[in-house]
Amino acid sequence: MKRTTFLHSIMILVLVAGTLACGTSLVIEDVDYSQPLESVLVPDANNQVHDQRYAIKLSITPVLQEEGISGVDEIRLIRNRAGFYFITASRFSHVYVFEPDDGELKLKRKIEITGDGLGQPAFNQRNTHIELVDMASGRTYNIDQNGIR
Amino acid sequence: MRNLYKTYISILTLFLLFAASSVYAQQSDYQIQQDFRAELTELLSRVELAVTAEELDAINSEIDALQQQYSEHSGIIDAALYPETFESTITNIREIRLSAFNNLAVIEQLNEQIEGLSAEMDLFRNRLAQMTQETTSLQQQIERAEANERRQASLIRQYRQNIEQRDNFVSEFLQELLSKYQRMDSATQQEIAEGIDRLDQNPLDMIRTIITEYIQIADQSTGLQTPDYVAMRAQHGYFESVWSQIGERLTTTFAPDSPVQVRQEISDMLAAWLASVDNKLWGSLTTAFNQNGINLQPFATPDDFNTALNTFVDRAYEISLESNNEADYEVFRNFRDFWNNTVKASWGEALITGNILSPAQIATIDIKLNDWGEAAQPTSNLMFILFLISMAVIVLLVVLLIVRK
Repeated sequence: MKRTTFLHSIMILVLVAGTLACGTSLVIEDVDYSQPLESVLVPDANNQVHDQRYAIKLSITPVLQEEGISGVDEIRLIRNRAGFYFITASRFSHVYVFEPDDGELKLKRKIEITGDGLGQPAFNQRNTHIELVDMASGRTYNIDQNGIR
Repeated sequence: MRNLYKTYISILTLFLLFAASSVYAQQSDYQIQQDFRAELTELLSRVELAVTAEELDAINSEIDALQQQYSEHSGIIDAALYPETFESTITNIREIRLSAFNNLAVIEQLNEQIEGLSAEMDLFRNRLAQMTQETTSLQQQIERAEANERRQASLIRQYRQNIEQRDNFVSEFLQELLSKYQRMDSATQQEIAEGIDRLDQNPLDMIRTIITEYIQIADQSTGLQTPDYVAMRAQHGYFESVWSQIGERLTTTFAPDSPVQVRQEISDMLAAWLASVDNKLWGSLTTAFNQNGINLQPFATPDDFNTALNTFVDRAYEISLESNNEADYEVFRNFRDFWNNTVKASWGEALITGNILSPAQIATIDIKLNDWGEAAQPTSNLMFILFLISMAVIVLLVVLLIVRK
């Protein structure tokens, strides 16, 4: 009798666990977050940039502080297929890769490109990566959220 | 050696391909779509500013080139232009260019029209000026030739011919205005109105000049007679009739800012011209009738003239009814001959065109003239005498018969 009760309890637990597991396992796969074109954004007096098209508004002050630059004319922003944001600008030495979270962007990686600072950077969306082109030097870098490929 | 050359070429080709791919790799997608937008905007602006069909043809080729150059980047451009696309923007600019081309064709046609009109006006103005010069010269010569009657008569003939030529020339001009503007649609009127600034003289200016010169001729006329003034009134009547048909269109087209004022101005000028002609005409008509023994009551308007004619014929008819003697019949014959041979035959058409007498008024006089003719016919006494003789013979025969019995 005790054994039967125990088995019943186990079965109920398995059923409950299975039901709960089904409820949280709804996943949409292969989501493509990629922006076909980079956004070239001009910061306002408070270093805020607003991308109307892709609906994102952020302050670039932390990035500027990280680069040790007081201000830039424009920043270049692109989102890759996986949903990471890539930010850089002229005179930046790095590309900053951010991961979106609740009301914030968390730095995923800081990719060092050149110690001299980029001349005229531009992001291109490619199938498997983001292409960073420095139009001034003519150099090209293939990058993703993990760094230079 | 040849193999070495081939190898060299192959290496160079590979290098160039590599270099080209490197250049391509260094392009910014953002920049590509920005360049496309800039080139498109520039082409659109050039389409708007184009003033010749050649320019628009050249732009068409450049649109082809733009499409060819950026077609490989259509994906990037589609993304940048969303919800529009690369193809839709190219189609759009082609449509705008075509529309501009069609508009330009209309403008070029209008330009031709304006140029043609301008040339026509120049030609007309020059011919009219020449005629005016001839008229003035003839007037002066007539005044100087007072002593020589034969020469003066010859000059007056020339002067008259000169005025006739002017009338014909002006009539042709008016006829042309009629054919051009009577049925002109409002769109064409509007188009011409937009281009009138480029005309030195437009038809309204010409009309002003013509009327002014006609007034001068009427005021300064020398040696002219009734038929000349009747012809002048006829010319005025024709002018007024043409003006009533196209005046509104002409003023709307050539004086778009103040059509009503200009219409009034020209109507006033026409009235002044008529007054100048009438000033000479009524006196001259009175003299012409008087010279032919017909004394009409005074008249100074077409209605007065008609009344004077009717009064004269009515009175003469009444007189003839009372006493149809040979003298009355002579009055009738005199009036009939002058009426038929001069007034109707020589001046008739001009009297009608000049609104001096209407065909109905002329017909009324004709009917009255007919009645007057019958009443004025002197009656013969021969029949009465024959009747008396016949009666006398009959009485005599009756008497003879009674006596024999």
